[in-house]
Amino acid sequence: MSGAQAGAQAWQADLGWQRIDLLSDVHLHADMPRTFEAWRDHMLGTPADAVLLLGDLFEVWVGDDARHQGFEAECVSVLRQASAQKVLAFMPGNRDFLVGDELLAEAGVQRLADPTLLCCWGQRWLLSHGDALCLADQAYQQFRAQVRSAGWQQQFLALPLADRQRQARAMRDASTAHQASLGPQHWSDVDDAAAAQWLADADASALIHGHTHRPGTHALPGGGLRHVLGDWDFDTKPSRARMMQLSSTGLQAIDLGDVA
Amino acid sequence: MTKTVTMTTAQGSFTIELDDAKAPLTVENFLSYVRSGHYDGTVFHRVIKGFMVQGGGFAPGMKQKPTQGEIKNEANNGLKNLKYTLAMARTSAPHSASSQFFINATNNSFLDHSSESAQGWGYAVFGRVVSGMDVVDQIEGVATGRKGGHDDVPNDDVMILTAVEVV
Repeated sequence: MSGAQAGAQAWQADLGWQRIDLLSDVHLHADMPRTFEAWRDHMLGTPADAVLLLGDLFEVWVGDDARHQGFEAECVSVLRQASAQKVLAFMPGNRDFLVGDELLAEAGVQRLADPTLLCCWGQRWLLSHGDALCLADQAYQQFRAQVRSAGWQQQFLALPLADRQRQARAMRDASTAHQASLGPQHWSDVDDAAAAQWLADADASALIHGHTHRPGTHALPGGGLRHVLGDWDFDTKPSRARMMQLSSTGLQAIDLGDVA
Repeated sequence: MTKTVTMTTAQGSFTIELDDAKAPLTVENFLSYVRSGHYDGTVFHRVIKGFMVQGGGFAPGMKQKPTQGEIKNEANNGLKNLKYTLAMARTSAPHSASSQFFINATNNSFLDHSSESAQGWGYAVFGRVVSGMDVVDQIEGVATGRKGGHDDVPNDDVMILTAVEVV
């Protein structure tokens, strides 16, 4: 739970904003061109005043020095165009936690801590990627603590880019194989008691997160709510992308793909 | 010496005490709009229950009125966005307020100044409603909808009939 228990950092919406988009788990990758296009069209076309990217925007990010290459450069270009029109903010997920300040500065994107308390129109929403709350998967939590440590990151980022890309491919293959062997019903999910505690600590009534690819809304012990964003896939049919939009009247789920 | 303004709306009147010691530029700017009659016939065009009511920039029909220049943001004056305080509305640029103001309908601490950055500048409080709070409550409670590309516009105009400095 590194960085999670100290209380959420507040992030305030501008008084005049009318819409805030929340999305996560786009998993941008060169092998998923239609997903990239759907994301690009949304980023450039949404009327929202701000778009908050709540983790796993990228399927993998091995260091900001990768941003000058083909697909990554295209993604950065979309972020830069979008940030010229609206406010963008990024929270790291379990696949793109190595996104650094260089990339964010170049793309005009603010950084969000995990968790972040979003204050807008008098409402208080707690935002997280969600992986820090998947407490039942102890092996993952150990791995997470390791790869989020400054020491591990410095060592990894010191490797040549090609080595990092090779390692990332191997880790992704291992993760895919592990998930497939378990089956979806055994994939780790957010711990509701811990989520309720986060809400109490932040004096918020609802948590919005991604990571689990199980879009929906759940009641938490103590009366809070947990809203779950979906992952994006426009390269298989039916396509899917569950995002959410906030306004003065509250939260609305929006399905951009075929699956609703 | 404390300066005071009374606003009369169709819902009734409320009186605002201005803090010209802590927000001298903002108070002077606000008073210049009061004295020129700018606010007379404008509407509270954005009303969000549990948050704030905003006005001072539009005539009925969402017709934006011309304004004087933008003023320096005095949000770092220590005044807080507490319930029934008045603060200047603005765009995302910190020093962009002109005539539009809002009345906080709750304690909006996240609108307070926290740092001299675009994200942290906050909204400059310059006064507070000292009588007629029930009128502010009534305005906060009106039904709203989407009009002319704007959210939270009252279905029936909430007009400031007159805004007068009390001397």
